[in-house]
Amino acid sequence: MTSLSPGHSFRSSSAGVLASRIEMFVARALSPTILVLAYVFLFAPLVVLIAYSFNAGRSTVVWSGFSFKWYEAVFADRNLGRAFWVSVMVAVVSASASTIVGTLAALALGRRRFLGAAFFSTLLTAPLVLPEIVMAVGLLVFMVATGLGLGYGSMIAGHILVTIPFTTLIVRAATAALDHRLDEAAADLGANDWQVFTRVTMPLLAPSIMTAFLLAATLSFDNFVMSTFTAGVGTTPLPIHIYSMLKLGITPQINALGTLMVAFNVAIILVVMTRYLALTFNKKPDH
Amino acid sequence: MSGDPARRRALVLAGLLSPATVLMIVFLVAPMLIVIGYSFSARDDYGGVLPVFTSENYTALLDPLYLHVLWNSVSLAGLTTIICLIVGYPAAYFIAFRAGRLAPVLLVLMLIPFWINFLIRISAWVVLLGRNGLVNAGLVASGLLDAPIGMLGTEGAVLVGLVYAFLPTAIFPIYAALNPIPPILIEAADDLGAGPIAAFWRVTLPLSLPGVMAAILFVFVPAMGAFAIPALLGGGKSIVIGNLIVQLFLEFRNIPLGAAVSVVLLAASIALILVYMRILQRLEAARS
Repeated sequence: MTSLSPGHSFRSSSAGVLASRIEMFVARALSPTILVLAYVFLFAPLVVLIAYSFNAGRSTVVWSGFSFKWYEAVFADRNLGRAFWVSVMVAVVSASASTIVGTLAALALGRRRFLGAAFFSTLLTAPLVLPEIVMAVGLLVFMVATGLGLGYGSMIAGHILVTIPFTTLIVRAATAALDHRLDEAAADLGANDWQVFTRVTMPLLAPSIMTAFLLAATLSFDNFVMSTFTAGVGTTPLPIHIYSMLKLGITPQINALGTLMVAFNVAIILVVMTRYLALTFNKKPDH
Repeated sequence: MSGDPARRRALVLAGLLSPATVLMIVFLVAPMLIVIGYSFSARDDYGGVLPVFTSENYTALLDPLYLHVLWNSVSLAGLTTIICLIVGYPAAYFIAFRAGRLAPVLLVLMLIPFWINFLIRISAWVVLLGRNGLVNAGLVASGLLDAPIGMLGTEGAVLVGLVYAFLPTAIFPIYAALNPIPPILIEAADDLGAGPIAAFWRVTLPLSLPGVMAAILFVFVPAMGAFAIPALLGGGKSIVIGNLIVQLFLEFRNIPLGAAVSVVLLAASIALILVYMRILQRLEAARS
């Protein structure tokens, strides 16, 4: 074995260069490649879904011309309409209740330190990490055992349970970020506790409370697992209705319904984004 | 208005917390206690619950049939978690460090599929994975397959559906952990001769571990209890805990056995949460 000929040292350093080149390539190219693949994976089904919602035929695979007839079918379907309104009702009531209860708890937990605070915050965030199906089974058994029965009440209770960690956490983050000097200033200027709360604290928390309500309403509207166990006869919400439609076979009507939901969500996101952009642009000329 | 301020403060505090406390005790704690109680009771011939104490529901679960269901759930949820981490970590990494001004757009894009009824999104996969679906057509056209194969009703299809449903759930907490890491820290490690991969391994990854742990928890626990995705994409063949609970409660009316399965799932989840909190504490202790 000849020791360290010039050729050998050249080879080993070129191997070193190659290794670091590979390392640079992996470091630079790996994450964008996977990101692109992840977005293709997430969006390809939506693209196919939207495309076939305009299919003239009954198939969701074979294209047979452009048509709006499945959209007409969505709006003409009375059962679908009924399920939609059940979901809207449950979403509005449960999100309102969840937001009110969550806000009250957040006001207590966000600012004051007291004995048992950790226990209360654990209790209120527990539904976030416990398996939803077990909480749903529990509520079903509870409603039957107490004779309360299943229907709007049980479903709304279940949806409050599922959404309360989110409303509490969102409002709590906002109360923690509040500037305490503002309340003190208001109190110094002669406002009593109630006036401080209604005229200073609440207006400052309003955007977060609204966010909490919208998130709770969305989660409730989309909820499937809790509703499967707590919906009563005649109070079938939209996700359960969609599930039974899927079990009967997929027609482009499902695609049309999904496309309408995509359009609705994109519209909301665009409104929020333009407001956000308008705010950031309006801030710029400030001095 | 009367009373000393401390007493008033305590009253206000109690008033603020009591609605939430009553709600959680009535609709979460009491139901859980009933489920645990039922899991130790017996079933009468009409689907009712007999108030006797027995552990036979739990011994019944040791039957190989149920153990197989349990194993199915654990392995599917585990695989889902691993794939979500392998794909979600680099994606979150890119959004946090490399996307620049595109980052908010990428995050909002991630929210769009997240906010459409997931059953409809899964229905798109039912179509895509069908014998005449685009996935089969693509594989045949590219020469990877000679003829379309049956993909629906396989565990692979269930896995695709679960990863699809939970990928954003994994990306968000990892992104939230990566985002506050100052890029200067990573550059410094790189400059000091660590090289990009060593810098990642020694600096970025340890700092993002809490996010990775949260992602594991938020993917694994719900994936263990999933039942719509296995039912729609698995064709009812690969039964998981979620399906088993639905069947026992809503179809077979075997409430005690269903309650026992639920308690097992609950106990497993709580054990996982405790391990998570323990590791998180260790990580924080190691950092300070």
